[in-house]
Amino acid sequence: MEQMVKGILVVNTETIPGMMITEALGVVSGSTVRAKNIGRDITQGLRNIMGGELVKYTELLEESRQEAIGRMVADAMSRGATAIVNVRFATSAVTAGAAELFAYGTAVKTE
Amino acid sequence: MAEGGTLLALGIFLIALPFLLLALIGILWSVAYPLMLIWAVLFSGKKLDRQIADTVQREGQTLATRGRDPLTTIDGGYRTDITSCGIVWAGVVYGPSHWFLLRGWVHNLIGGSIDIFQKVISAGRAEAMQRLREQAVTHGFDDVINVRIDTSDMAPQGAQRAIKAVEIFAYGTGVKYG
Repeated sequence: MEQMVKGILVVNTETIPGMMITEALGVVSGSTVRAKNIGRDITQGLRNIMGGELVKYTELLEESRQEAIGRMVADAMSRGATAIVNVRFATSAVTAGAAELFAYGTAVKTE
Repeated sequence: MAEGGTLLALGIFLIALPFLLLALIGILWSVAYPLMLIWAVLFSGKKLDRQIADTVQREGQTLATRGRDPLTTIDGGYRTDITSCGIVWAGVVYGPSHWFLLRGWVHNLIGGSIDIFQKVISAGRAEAMQRLREQAVTHGFDDVINVRIDTSDMAPQGAQRAIKAVEIFAYGTGVKYG
């Protein structure tokens, strides 16, 4: 988790403190669908009987989200943006075995 | 003729082997699952209490060192001396044990609020928020503004043999004051 992901500032507020937004470049987004492997499914299924945190799934979603944000940032870079504001996250389970993680925000130019 | 017989037996055995293994796994599962359920009945309540106690203790530490809760849902914040900012996030996948699911199911028949699920989900949410605080500290931020908390089901509705868990995901903008 870098705050300046490849030189682009990512925040989930509408404005950036101490900076002026000069131009909005539209919505940028990145998504990733991650399937859990079967071995993990079995061990986590066993862990689920006891309840509590499923550590492997937490890690998996963390990695996937990193990837989604990376793609969003790449999208913003290709538009020549310097920051992404108002970032939102959405998650949906496609089937029992796969989750889609989606990150989107507005690419802006700042000064 | 005896050689042909052994070959035939070997062939049948090789074809049947995967099915035998499957049956073996099935038998093992049907023995192991009740045992694990009993284990869950005995200890999952204690595990949840321990988890909650741990989260509360870490929360207390953060509050003690920072003097107040660094998380706010205010967009933009109320201070003007912000020098740097950036997104921080933390997620946790949290599920009730099968014993709680059983209790919830019984509660569902009677109706009313199902306190046990409320307890599990709040424990997960408290843990996610505490991790967000810790992330902010790791990245050198003073506060986290515009915090949003998302809860999503790990398995889609109607999936029968899926893992029963929710993902609680907290994110916000970390800010550092000058």
